Amino acid sequence: MAGGGGSIEGGEPEFQVAPMIDVLLVLLVFFMTITSMEVLKVDQDIVLPVAPDAEKREKERGEVIVNVRWNAETKKARYSLDQIEFDKIDPLKEAVARASNAAKAGIKAGWNPAVRMVIRGDASLPAMEIQKVMGIGAEAGIADIAFSAASKE
Amino acid sequence: MKKVHIQMDGDTGFQIAPMIDVVFVIMLFFMVMAGAVKVENHLVTNLPGTSESDSADFVDEQIIGVSETGEVTLNDDAYDGQSKELPTLKAALSRLKQSSDASKNQCVVTIVSEPFAKYSRVIDVLDALAVAKISSVTFTVGEEE
Repeated sequence: MAGGGGSIEGGEPEFQVAPMIDVLLVLLVFFMTITSMEVLKVDQDIVLPVAPDAEKREKERGEVIVNVRWNAETKKARYSLDQIEFDKIDPLKEAVARASNAAKAGIKAGWNPAVRMVIRGDASLPAMEIQKVMGIGAEAGIADIAFSAASKE
Repeated sequence: MKKVHIQMDGDTGFQIAPMIDVVFVIMLFFMVMAGAVKVENHLVTNLPGTSESDSADFVDEQIIGVSETGEVTLNDDAYDGQSKELPTLKAALSRLKQSSDASKNQCVVTIVSEPFAKYSRVIDVLDALAVAKISSVTFTVGEEE
């Protein structure tokens, strides 16, 4: 950090540049950190629905995150799990079961023991597509389901 | 901004003023960005039939319907038309929650959606439930007729 200071020998204290730079740099680092921490690591093709009163994401728990996209032209949903794409729901079943087992194995001491399925669905999806994914979660033994939503438009 | 004094011997030295200017601009950028950042939050539900209850005797179960047209009903009464904020539904759910708490019953809500109802409308209802602090929520899609 910047060092030094101004002279006060003349009785009149000078404008201190060094501490001002220190404060500026600290503020800069603070805003850089919070901006980069909160940036969404999301699938850009998914427009999340907005829910301003939803709760914050619980970080210390096992999660299976399923992305559900909607193609309005073909009227078909497309799923992805761990960056693997699925056109149909059946192959997703096995992937969810594997991811659930992996999430259970990765639960650390003090974490919530229940694995949660997080559904990141596009706002324009019909509800039945969400129901299908929930059904897959149920088959994999996951009863805790969370829906992702953006905090604002 | 500050006046820059350039030494006449050719050595300009370390210029503090432009550095402060740049730092100010970068800081301003990150301050604006920090306010505009979207955060991903969660709305939590349980699968139908897995809702935990300490006292199995008394459970206040409410049914919220979501139609394809976006109409929301609470126990067959329509609420708020197409309003995204659902203010009267939020108020009704808050009253139900208070009444359940007062009678020490668990307030359980089941959302029954039509198959082609928009997911975003279901999220509006879940957001209203989050405002009313109702945590025992199940979501199901009704059979296609």
